[in-house]
Amino acid sequence: MERIAGISLPSSLTALDTRGGTDERLPPMKSSPQPNNLPVAEETLSQMLDKMVPTGADDADLYLEQSASESLALEEGRVKHVSASAHQGIGARVIRGEVSGHAYTDRLESPALMECARAARAIAESGARAQSVSIHPDRTDHQLYQPANPALTASMPERKALLEKLDRLARTLDPRVKQVFANVSTSFSSIHLIRMDGSHLHDARPLVRLNVSVVVEQNGKRETGSTGGGGRFDLTHLLKGDEAERLTREAVRLALLNLDAIPAPAGPMPVVLGPGWPGILLHEAIGHGLEGDFNRKGSSAFSGKIGQRIAAPGVTVVDDGSMPERRGSLNMDDEGTPTGCTTLIEDGILTTYMQDRQNARLMGVEPTGNGRRESYAHPVLPRMTNTFMLAGQDDPKEILSTLKHGLYAVNFGGGQVDITSGKFVFSTSEAYLIENGEIKAPVKGATLIGNGPDVLTKVSMIGNDLQLDPGVGTCGKDGQSVPVGVGQPTLKIDEMVVGGTDS
Amino acid sequence: MSHSSDRKTDDMKEIASRLVEMAGKSGAADADALAVNDVGENISVRNRKIESVEREESRGIGLRAFVKTSEGLAFASASSSDFSNDGMRKLVDQVIAMARISTADPDAMPPSGAEHPTTAELATWDDKHPVEIEWTLAAARQAALACEEAALDYSDKIENSEGAEAGFSRTHVAYASADNFRGKYQKSSLGLSLSVIAGTGDQMQRDYAYSRVQQVEKLKNPQMIGQEAAERAIRRVGARSISTRQTTVVFEPRMATSILGHLISAINGRSVLQKRSFLAESNGQALFPEFVQIEDNPDHPDGLGNRLFDGEGTRCRQRTIIDSGKLTGFLTDRYAAARLKSEPTGHARRGLTGDTGIGPSNLILHPGEMDVEAMLQEIGDGLLVTEMMGFGINGVTGDYSRGAAGFLIENGKVGQPVNEITVAGNLKKMFANISHLGSDLTWFGSTAVPTIAIADMTVAGQEG
Repeated sequence: MERIAGISLPSSLTALDTRGGTDERLPPMKSSPQPNNLPVAEETLSQMLDKMVPTGADDADLYLEQSASESLALEEGRVKHVSASAHQGIGARVIRGEVSGHAYTDRLESPALMECARAARAIAESGARAQSVSIHPDRTDHQLYQPANPALTASMPERKALLEKLDRLARTLDPRVKQVFANVSTSFSSIHLIRMDGSHLHDARPLVRLNVSVVVEQNGKRETGSTGGGGRFDLTHLLKGDEAERLTREAVRLALLNLDAIPAPAGPMPVVLGPGWPGILLHEAIGHGLEGDFNRKGSSAFSGKIGQRIAAPGVTVVDDGSMPERRGSLNMDDEGTPTGCTTLIEDGILTTYMQDRQNARLMGVEPTGNGRRESYAHPVLPRMTNTFMLAGQDDPKEILSTLKHGLYAVNFGGGQVDITSGKFVFSTSEAYLIENGEIKAPVKGATLIGNGPDVLTKVSMIGNDLQLDPGVGTCGKDGQSVPVGVGQPTLKIDEMVVGGTDS
Repeated sequence: MSHSSDRKTDDMKEIASRLVEMAGKSGAADADALAVNDVGENISVRNRKIESVEREESRGIGLRAFVKTSEGLAFASASSSDFSNDGMRKLVDQVIAMARISTADPDAMPPSGAEHPTTAELATWDDKHPVEIEWTLAAARQAALACEEAALDYSDKIENSEGAEAGFSRTHVAYASADNFRGKYQKSSLGLSLSVIAGTGDQMQRDYAYSRVQQVEKLKNPQMIGQEAAERAIRRVGARSISTRQTTVVFEPRMATSILGHLISAINGRSVLQKRSFLAESNGQALFPEFVQIEDNPDHPDGLGNRLFDGEGTRCRQRTIIDSGKLTGFLTDRYAAARLKSEPTGHARRGLTGDTGIGPSNLILHPGEMDVEAMLQEIGDGLLVTEMMGFGINGVTGDYSRGAAGFLIENGKVGQPVNEITVAGNLKKMFANISHLGSDLTWFGSTAVPTIAIADMTVAGQEG
């Protein structure tokens, strides 16, 4: 709907936030992938390819997806929202040059599938290709996460007990806690990708997420605090360790802190960003602008800037979809390209755009494993995975001590960017006014606004404390949402506009 | 109306009914179900050529079932795209098993017992609200090409195009509840949008225009959409930041919809119950100046949000939300209404999965008398906002801070384009500080608003 209306900005990152994020050691992968249980007969898929691939096609594929998700949510002390969903479907697409045809259906019977293949081919004027191909297995490069449904690792009653425990904990921590909302969700999607040449790739993707938010009240004044965490792992992570409790304490701390917050300042000033989730800066300021589609079309503020300085010396930013168990990670992207670590900015110089296959082909470069789709029923777009800045040399304490009068922002809500003008925003949820290197007071949430192509040239100090976010980011583009990660060390930016009310 | 279309809603109704009956036989004390069938086609063109064609057909069923416990009713919900007998059986068993895990709520509100529309109202609704069945992909292509062409030919200042998109979708929905209510309806939506770029290099500016309607005869002329997008992009070129100031901020209708959206979130009965709203204690209060009148109208010829019954089968009715500036009450589903000790307002919203939520049908902020030109004259100096970015809104406190772009208002006229600025305030104060409403009521899907002027907001920018 949004996509048709075109009313959404090209991109946004809307998510809850949490400070830091422990990047604990990951367990070794043991099990091998599940057998490739294709829900549709190989012959049928082969017939679909025959029907849809015209002569001269540059690319074509079938994307078969089966997904299952579960969610338990607590409010007012009760786990009274229990829900599940199971969906499957197939997306067929054909690409020739700049033109593409797509068809999606959730009916996996043969007539519906043939109709789907016919519709995907609608863009082609030429006849069908002569040769038929047989479906044959291919392998993905990585095994970054367990190919199993995380819901199977803890029963619903166990998940319910976890939420109840967090509710009790939050209320025990402080009597001012009036409301607790907690939610644990799991999803698992099994993807079969059949490419034009008949090669068959499989990926099975688990995803887990826990959110906690509280409302506190003091003398009739209310505030809220939210945290979350997750990744492509199973539920034992949340049930066995103390991560869930840590997130709950954090939500309470944030809410209480904001009770004492003073109005945020308004106007330009130096800003120090904390490590981890504040890396949303990179996602908005440069990430979207470096996606291949906008640059092929010349609509990005970064178009034509490869090889140019867009950040201060010392700034190196990568997009890495191949990190074990990370929320933004994938064994292969949604076109079967293996994910990897792509250096976007090296020592301040723009080096690479993020590409899917179509845009890479049209720009004459290699795909980078960034072709992603929300589901079988969405087209592939170049998207980010885990985007972060590498650590520098500076001691975070020293960075803060250099701030004479400015803002120290350690937690954020969402952000958004206008790809073409390069202007971007992100909004604080935990920030402090700093005077002479000392914290003066917490300030209310405020939006920070900047210009993508030059904000990183104003980076004057880079901390040695790289952190990745706790696994909460969901990125929106063209109406499609995909899970992503961000990260950065503590950073000092010499000037940004802070959008508070205190002018 | 085509027969196949009718048959589809009948099929959906049959499926939803069967789910509710199966749930009853499997031990559910109460239940409701939804069955949805969606077909959509979409075409995009760029630089006068076709870029992509998309076609989608999807179906879904969703069931919510309640079970009795010693502490009251507990419920769960699930959805699936499997319409087979086996698939439906699995769904029923799964939902009931999950409901037994769910914690009972003594205030739980089962679907049975809602005030439903009459059989006569149900029978005539579709005839009074015909869906569009004529628009084809070929017509959509033609509209998209004409729209983009009008923008590209409008001026040589249009340097690039992000393309035009045209599409349509038809949805067939059926709802069934355990008290034998069976409702069904069809919806159609057509859209045409275009985004173009003016300027080059560091001064590239993008803007867009669109039209989204239920029937093709209401679609804005494609050339006009093209010209609007071009004009909007061109006038933004040369934008710069401005110094920080307190000033009147004028939101053009496209942006004013968001202000209305924040009000609706804050008067959501469930948020009020959970003290998640800065208006939780504001019932009956004068939140706005006396000239502000806001209604929710579930049956408006220009609205895309028309509905006869809400997400739990309650008949929808016109409601004045803000009457001469005063909040008349909160928006509720039956659960929130019972706990707030008020009448259900027919605002339950339901997806295939999950509990009911709360949302409006068609929202209308009644326009003022003054045209925008006269309004700006009276305001003198301020900021006209034509685009906003970001999510800097705290629903609990009403604190508001967003990125913005637009134009300076200087001596009563639209002047210098500006960007890289923020606008900030507190929603409660912003509501009270509305100084003008334009006469330019404009529809955006299911919301209609005029230009809104709000006095005394903080605008932050780069020139110290």
